Amino acid sequence: MSRLLLRLNQIEKTYPPTINPGERFGAFWQLLTRGHSQGGTQVISDVSFDIHAGQSMAIVGGNGAGKSTLLKVITGVLAPSAGSIQQSGSVAALLELGAGFDPDYTGLDNLKLNAAFLGLSPADVEEKLDDILAFADIGDSIDEPVKHYSSGMVVRLGFAVVASVRPDLLITDEVLAVGDESFQKKCIRWIEGYLESGGTLLMVSHNMYQVQKLCRHALWLHDGRARAQGDVFDVTQAYLAWHERRDAEDATRQQGHSSANHYGITELSIGADGEGEKRLAMGDELTVTLLLRSPDGRAPVALIGVVRADGTPVYGVASDHDGVSSQGTSEGGFQVQLRFPALSLLPGGYAIRGHAMDPEGLRIHDTAEVPFTVVGRSRELGLVRLEHEWLS
Amino acid sequence: MIRERGIFGQLLKREIRSRFIGSATGWIWLVVTPLLLLGVYAFVFGVIFRARVPEGFELPFWAWLAVALWPWLAFSEGLQRAAASIQQHAALISKVAVPRHLLVNTSVCAVFVLHAIGFVVVLLAVQGLAADIQWLAVPYVLMILAMLYVFALGLGFFLAAVQVFVRDVEQLLPTALMFWFFLTPIIYPIELLPEGARGLLALNPMTWWVEELRLALFSGKSIPDQTFLFMVVVSFTCLLIGRAVFNRLSPHFEDFL
Repeated sequence: MSRLLLRLNQIEKTYPPTINPGERFGAFWQLLTRGHSQGGTQVISDVSFDIHAGQSMAIVGGNGAGKSTLLKVITGVLAPSAGSIQQSGSVAALLELGAGFDPDYTGLDNLKLNAAFLGLSPADVEEKLDDILAFADIGDSIDEPVKHYSSGMVVRLGFAVVASVRPDLLITDEVLAVGDESFQKKCIRWIEGYLESGGTLLMVSHNMYQVQKLCRHALWLHDGRARAQGDVFDVTQAYLAWHERRDAEDATRQQGHSSANHYGITELSIGADGEGEKRLAMGDELTVTLLLRSPDGRAPVALIGVVRADGTPVYGVASDHDGVSSQGTSEGGFQVQLRFPALSLLPGGYAIRGHAMDPEGLRIHDTAEVPFTVVGRSRELGLVRLEHEWLS
Repeated sequence: MIRERGIFGQLLKREIRSRFIGSATGWIWLVVTPLLLLGVYAFVFGVIFRARVPEGFELPFWAWLAVALWPWLAFSEGLQRAAASIQQHAALISKVAVPRHLLVNTSVCAVFVLHAIGFVVVLLAVQGLAADIQWLAVPYVLMILAMLYVFALGLGFFLAAVQVFVRDVEQLLPTALMFWFFLTPIIYPIELLPEGARGLLALNPMTWWVEELRLALFSGKSIPDQTFLFMVVVSFTCLLIGRAVFNRLSPHFEDFL
């Protein structure tokens, strides 16, 4: 194993109550006499991980999950309430837009101060100044006060300084999103080169594509706890699936339910292994079994579809499209089975949706849904893999 | 260490420039404001109240006042800047892992550097207009001033840390400093007081600094003695305690800013 750069051991962070002066004074006295204070809001609990040299890790999670707080704890801006942090090697952090920039001073002054924070001596700065300015590419604005800068220019300058340092560990919060397309690409290229040459990255991002592209490991932070931790694909897929499902739940809650139907679904099941959440790998076979009931003994038409977990339709087919009719069963119901021999869905959260239609295939009377997750290691984009070949 | 020195340099430069940013004649005000203050004190106490320099000094009241006033100004302004330094840099502290003690240190340092310039101007003026300065005592004067810096730094660390949690410091400090100013024999000679009160005044450390500076500059005292030893002990005790309190509280600053 390569050199350990960062180890977090059961980190907890509680923001103390700071509203009224009495509480502030109480916290002050406790900190002074005992070294810790009581009460407050817990924002991070029990987070542990190691980062070794050459690794790249992303922290993902919804708003308010504690991602930024965790980064602040790691960089030393905040002290953890419990747990310990071990660190070795140089660290550079781009935490927030314009972090450490004073709007009243010129870009150049701010650049020098930031370089000093990162451990560059004035001589180093002189030497690297041209490179930094070339990377930032903001022209003569460098002599303007930073308050006249656009947010993109601030990020350019901040990133350029960090890039000139080449730290052992680079920590970035969602800052690159501000730069324009070409600058973002430049940054991504720089980070890729940095990672290839042995750099170590810890980043927070909401852009799962970027996360999968740049990182090998991921941590999903949910309400201040690590909900999943490990391989980047597993974690980001679980995270996205959770999001899609939550959106879908919101949507169905609004629609309400209509269950008193003529033709109905008795059971919808899919042939994947395991209890609970069904998981299958990309390219696996998937068998769907739909049990239907009919009030008048006529065979209902079955419509089976695949939707992404947020409800976006991917594919749907009805039994009457293909001239198939549902078979009667011994219990007086009807059954259809549908097999996808090699499911070409890309990794993510999906659901099989079954609909019971009247025998004429005109109206949908009942709907059921079974969620499942497709796992795999693919950076392809979209929902399904299309047949393709590169002609070159 | 190299990193801290680099940051210290940049922060100090910024701290000093922040006084003059946007004012074209900042450097002039640096000397003019204390001179006006000196003028007011010299007029009120020297002319109206007819304060006289104590026996043994052959010089006008204003010169006697001036050599004590500048160190006091550096000390009191240093304390106020230091106390406000953490809050003033709240934006920086909440985003960058800057060594926080440097913020206090640069605030005090900037004040002392700026007032040192004024002090030199004053000494030259005294030499030219009023009385002979004992220039041979300058090394001892520098030692006294260095101890004053350490003393101010120690108190500054303590006040800065406390002010983050208890904002009342900001309100109380100017009044407390004014009180301290009048309890220090800066604008009046200690001999003006009755015998009993003199002993009490000697418990005020600033009395030692003021008296010692006058003795050095006008009477040529240039060998450190017991008084200087007291200064060293008090200053470094103050620095140790102030820094200990500061170090204990500084990891939690961001939570309370």
